[in-house]
Amino acid sequence: MYGAMSPPVLSIEGLRKQYGNFTALHDVSLEIPAGEIFALLGPNGAGKSTLIGAICGMVRKTAGKVRLFGIDIDEDPVTPRYRVGLVPQEINFDPFFNPVECLEIQQGYYGQKPDPERIREVLEAMQLTSKANVVTRALSGGMRRRLLIAKALVHRPQLVFLDEPTAGVDVELRRDLWSYIRRLRAEGTTVVLTTHYLEEAEELADRVGIIDGGRLLLLEEKAALLERLGKRQTAVHFTEPQQSLPEALGELGVVLSEDGNSALYTEQATSNHGSGRVLGALYSAGLPIRDVETQRPRLEEILIEVLRSGGAANAQKQDVQA
Amino acid sequence: MNRLGMKTLLMKEIRRFVRIPGQTLLSPLISTSLYFVVFGSALSGRISQVEGVPYLAFIVPGLVFLSVANNAFINASSSIFSSKIQGTIVDLLVAPLGPFELIVGFAGGAVVRGILVGLLTWLVGIFFAGPSLQHALLTLGVLVLGAYTFALLGLLSGLWAEKFEQVNFFPTFVMLPLTFLGGVFYNVEQLPGIWRTVSLFNPVVYLVDGLRYGMLGVGMFQPWVAPTVLTALALVSTVIVHALLARGYKLTS
Repeated sequence: MYGAMSPPVLSIEGLRKQYGNFTALHDVSLEIPAGEIFALLGPNGAGKSTLIGAICGMVRKTAGKVRLFGIDIDEDPVTPRYRVGLVPQEINFDPFFNPVECLEIQQGYYGQKPDPERIREVLEAMQLTSKANVVTRALSGGMRRRLLIAKALVHRPQLVFLDEPTAGVDVELRRDLWSYIRRLRAEGTTVVLTTHYLEEAEELADRVGIIDGGRLLLLEEKAALLERLGKRQTAVHFTEPQQSLPEALGELGVVLSEDGNSALYTEQATSNHGSGRVLGALYSAGLPIRDVETQRPRLEEILIEVLRSGGAANAQKQDVQA
Repeated sequence: MNRLGMKTLLMKEIRRFVRIPGQTLLSPLISTSLYFVVFGSALSGRISQVEGVPYLAFIVPGLVFLSVANNAFINASSSIFSSKIQGTIVDLLVAPLGPFELIVGFAGGAVVRGILVGLLTWLVGIFFAGPSLQHALLTLGVLVLGAYTFALLGLLSGLWAEKFEQVNFFPTFVMLPLTFLGGVFYNVEQLPGIWRTVSLFNPVVYLVDGLRYGMLGVGMFQPWVAPTVLTALALVSTVIVHALLARGYKLTS
């Protein structure tokens, strides 16, 4: 289980990557403890995949230290890899082999003999059992993505990097995958996740990092982040459109929707009584209330806000600790 | 060292070419057989003997070498290049496989294919010219070292290439001239002065000559020359490819 006292499985200090004059990563520092699900969020080209690539050996870092399980990858790049798994963002497949063979080969690369039981287990978890002996060429895009996940997990890594693992995977399967990731975490596996589905990060992550322009803008536990920066929105829908709202409601910060059908109220997630006061005022005003809808704080809004304001505000601050 | 990882890559490389035998084994066999028919049958009427052996028998070692070198080269270059294009190279970069394991895996698979096609070519040669094996150990040594050296050159080519047309650069502009001017179809000693001297700078000349000595018992140079040249080439190629793989040359960004 995730805990603040766990020693870091991944430790990054001042990681920089430059391509000529372009700096893809600006002295990023980060520690990830064992058993954590860490979500790295940011727009396209923010540096998420470059960061993962520099850790996993696909990108040559320009400067900085990366330690995996306490081992400096400059001194020993190979040993820590036995305990690491990666789902790359780009789908790849070897047309010569079927999923079972791909997984046997993958186990072999990691110094393990083929383990049919483990292969059966990951194929089942990825719902690929019926395609176990079909050439990978014949798999759909979503199936190939799931095969990539199976390949990353088949050798039982202790640290898994999932770079957009559910892109192109249908909704139902995505939720099954989330359950599987939670199971991995329960078994002690550390997961580093990048995703465009913020709902995915909301569901899974213990901690969130927001990166943009190669700079880590924010690093904080998800619950604390949602509490600190999240906003809760309450929408009160009327049975008939209203022309205006009583002045008292306006003073509370309640606004009427453009179509006049709803009163909208937004408050900080930390507020404990704002919505209740608004609902009381609406009720006292005798407005024809049909329905009340409350939206919990969302990472999406926080991400947009941090990218919009924090990006510039944190431009000089490359290592932000919660 | 990750022995199981290395063995897995090696077996994967072998399975890869075995699964498409028409392209990897049969096709080179047919083209080599055509050499026997066109060069051997057509020229053997005019050139009865070279260095005391029938012309058809004389070209067998060179053609065997050609098969070994070409197939070892192509296997290694196409395998690493297609891994780059398909993106499966990521599996190898992330796995606990160092440069040594990668060399053994890729070059090992290429050596097996090269030797296999070489042996098939030899069988075709026996069909046309009859059997002859004078020095088995030397023959085996030159075949294996030759296959390994050209496998490494193939790896180098596959690492360097970024486009499909670049994969053909080495075979077309380097290997083809070297092999055809390397005494496969003629005795280099018979060339006029300057061309004979130029030919001596072509390492393939020594390799073909060594194999010819091993199989037929005739050759221009001392028997130790071919294994020595090949060992030197293999060592230099190994050092270069190892350094490039350790750097992630054109594999990492």
